Amino acid sequence: MFGYILRRLAVAVPTLLLLIVFSFLLMHAAPGGPFTGERSLPPQVLANLEAKYGLDQPLIVQLWNYLKGVVLQFDFGPSFVYPDRTVNGLIADGFPVTLTYGLLSFVLAALVGITLGVAAAIRHNSWLDYLAVGTSIGAQVLPNFVMAPILVLVLTLWLGWLPGGGWSFNDPSYWIMPVIALGTSYMASIARITRSSMLEVLGSNHIRTARAKGMPERRVILRHALKPALLPVISYLGPVFVSMITGSVVIDIYFSTGGIGRSFVDSALNRDYAVMMGITILVGALTVLFNLIVDILYAWIDPKIRY
Amino acid sequence: MKRFLLTTALAASLALPVHAATPAEGETLAENQTLDFWILDAVKTLDPHKNTDVDGAHVLRQLFEGLMNEDEAGAMVPGIAESYEMSDDGLTYTFKLRDTAKWSNGDPVTAEDFVYSWQRAVNPETASEYAWFMELMNIVNATQVVAGEVPPEELGVRAVDEHTLEVTLSTPTPYFIKTLSHGTTFPVHRATVEEFGDNWTQPGNFVSNGAYVLDSHDLGVKVTLSKNENYWNNAETVMTPLNFITINDQNVALTRYQAGELDWFDRVPAGQFPNLQEQYPDQAVAIPQACSYAYLFNMSDKGPEALKDLKVRQALAYAVDRDIITDKILQGGQKPAYFWTHWAIEGFEAPEIEMAGWTQPERIEKAKALLEEAGYGPDNPLSLTIQYNTSEDHKKLAVAVQQFWKAIGVNATLANYEWKVHTDRLQNQDFEVARYAWCGDYNEASTFLDYFRTDGYNNGKWSNADYDALLAEAKTAENTTELYKEAEQVLNADMPFVPVYHYSNAMMVNADLRGIPYDNVMYNWYAKDLYRVAE
Repeated sequence: MFGYILRRLAVAVPTLLLLIVFSFLLMHAAPGGPFTGERSLPPQVLANLEAKYGLDQPLIVQLWNYLKGVVLQFDFGPSFVYPDRTVNGLIADGFPVTLTYGLLSFVLAALVGITLGVAAAIRHNSWLDYLAVGTSIGAQVLPNFVMAPILVLVLTLWLGWLPGGGWSFNDPSYWIMPVIALGTSYMASIARITRSSMLEVLGSNHIRTARAKGMPERRVILRHALKPALLPVISYLGPVFVSMITGSVVIDIYFSTGGIGRSFVDSALNRDYAVMMGITILVGALTVLFNLIVDILYAWIDPKIRY
Repeated sequence: MKRFLLTTALAASLALPVHAATPAEGETLAENQTLDFWILDAVKTLDPHKNTDVDGAHVLRQLFEGLMNEDEAGAMVPGIAESYEMSDDGLTYTFKLRDTAKWSNGDPVTAEDFVYSWQRAVNPETASEYAWFMELMNIVNATQVVAGEVPPEELGVRAVDEHTLEVTLSTPTPYFIKTLSHGTTFPVHRATVEEFGDNWTQPGNFVSNGAYVLDSHDLGVKVTLSKNENYWNNAETVMTPLNFITINDQNVALTRYQAGELDWFDRVPAGQFPNLQEQYPDQAVAIPQACSYAYLFNMSDKGPEALKDLKVRQALAYAVDRDIITDKILQGGQKPAYFWTHWAIEGFEAPEIEMAGWTQPERIEKAKALLEEAGYGPDNPLSLTIQYNTSEDHKKLAVAVQQFWKAIGVNATLANYEWKVHTDRLQNQDFEVARYAWCGDYNEASTFLDYFRTDGYNNGKWSNADYDALLAEAKTAENTTELYKEAEQVLNADMPFVPVYHYSNAMMVNADLRGIPYDNVMYNWYAKDLYRVAE
């Protein structure tokens, strides 16, 4: 197992390197640059700016310098669009925000989703099942860009209970709507996956055997059914976890949280090469890491899986 | 040298020595003097020499004070400069700085501060995207310093003594004084900039000389300012604290205004203003804003052959029904445009434009006839591509224009590009017809008309010697009104673009908020002049 983890981590290095090189080249291939604006800059001013950020160098030299900075100093460089900020600083400011609401939202979605799914499967075709399926379908057709305005309309405009946007680490009332809006549709998917996987497991031979030997139903469900039923859920949760903690552009725009979900999209539109690269690397590294964690969880849950 | 008691603006302000919050008789100030102001985007920088955004400029105007400020009608009033003199040849300005002006850390604001700051703005090492503004001001050597040909010390600005600043221009510049409220001319605190480098704009390090100081900056969420106790006229500042709240979506911002989270919300989304006016008659206001919206024709070699024909350009310009655009689509107090300069610009008189007087059916009829003369008709229809950048409003207009042109038999295809690609294509003349808008940098018509000069930004690469000559003449003329009118006529006669509409700023303002400069077409407001009244 330990060897396997080491091998996986070794593969991660070239994977990330390829990601960096491709993103870097694609980004620079897009028309326009960070200083393309309504008013074309006088050539000298543009030259000064490009010299300041090293954009006057050949692309391959820029890439080399960038890689050197990232690998040797963990320095993602200065932002091209926020002149008094560095990429490290921007990520340090924005990532804790998305991490906070993303993590809470993930926990909420996973807990409620799995509970709903399991309950629906156990009481298959009962009112509880219909309620659970109905709820999850309802939640599924309410993606975050629909949920967000509804929440604001009800909780801010009508009831006046919560602030309509903004962010504060000290005041959880700012977190509630982002957490709900982001988590709802994920919760629905988790419930549906859990339910169908649980139904399948409940119909399998080892469950019939467990029941036949008179094992209490509670034990059958928790020990013998839930664990294998969670495998597909976990492979879904891995990438979902990464995408949730790195934020959502919809949530960040709608609730003005200052999170990196918006910075990611903005940086691409603004051609803020360094910020775009920094967040790409962050998301890439987290994805690689959590895929590995999912695989380790697999082995832990299912003794049949050995690496 | 002849001593000016300045223009009417300064003369008036001598009677009323300072410009500040001035509650009218019978008005009681409210207990709460907080201002929650909406901004669309994260504030990219609080360095006045690096800012390029309108929203950032609103924040910086509270933090810093330049030589001049603007009053509620947009006239120039003294800021850090108490008075100034202009030499007879119009090339040298001498400013007397007020000796009571201080930085927020207590240091005096000196002429040397301005010298340092202006040199910094043009220094290639600063790499300011607005360095061109000092070139626009025609300060001696600005262009050469920006190009790196001479050192920044050679810029035509010098401290005669601690409170006397002398600026030398390369050519007489009638609008020079009007450029002095722009952020690029704001002073920065040398010791702070040199100590902290790029980090000098962080709260804690920040030193400013305006009516407010920086309390906190939560990027993409909120910037908070409070009164600067060291500001020379702090006693008269009422409003504090100021919260600049970032909300990245106009509709969300409107909702939050309605929820009472904002006091002032500008840029009401297209089409929603009439409704809001009905619902909140005491809060909805639309004021002119110095920007013009147009469709540019590509007249360069890369442009389509058809657009080289004046008749085609005229036909396309006539066919656009501007009344439908302003009254049915935008509905926020915009005005149909038949010329380029925004109608509300100071000292500008609208030229007589023939097509403005015609009815739309007349225009359509003339357009059809012109197209036929140019050789286009049902058997040989004209096809063009309209390029616009991603935005619901631009899209609505492009669809409308497509329909207007269809009515005269022109097939227009719509091409949508994201902003950077759109701009890049404009600057490389990779377009046929493109949506464009220009906003004035200062309150004088040349800020618009310079655009179409042969060496102006002029993305369509139109070139006309008469036009260039008129604008060159206007640079030194005593009275520019007629020259600008004539320039507009030249533009109209050759029609290198379709003027579409003149902007307005439709906004929602809390009913207790006073002192907003509704008559300032540049929309440059100063929180130190605002106050809230008790209901």
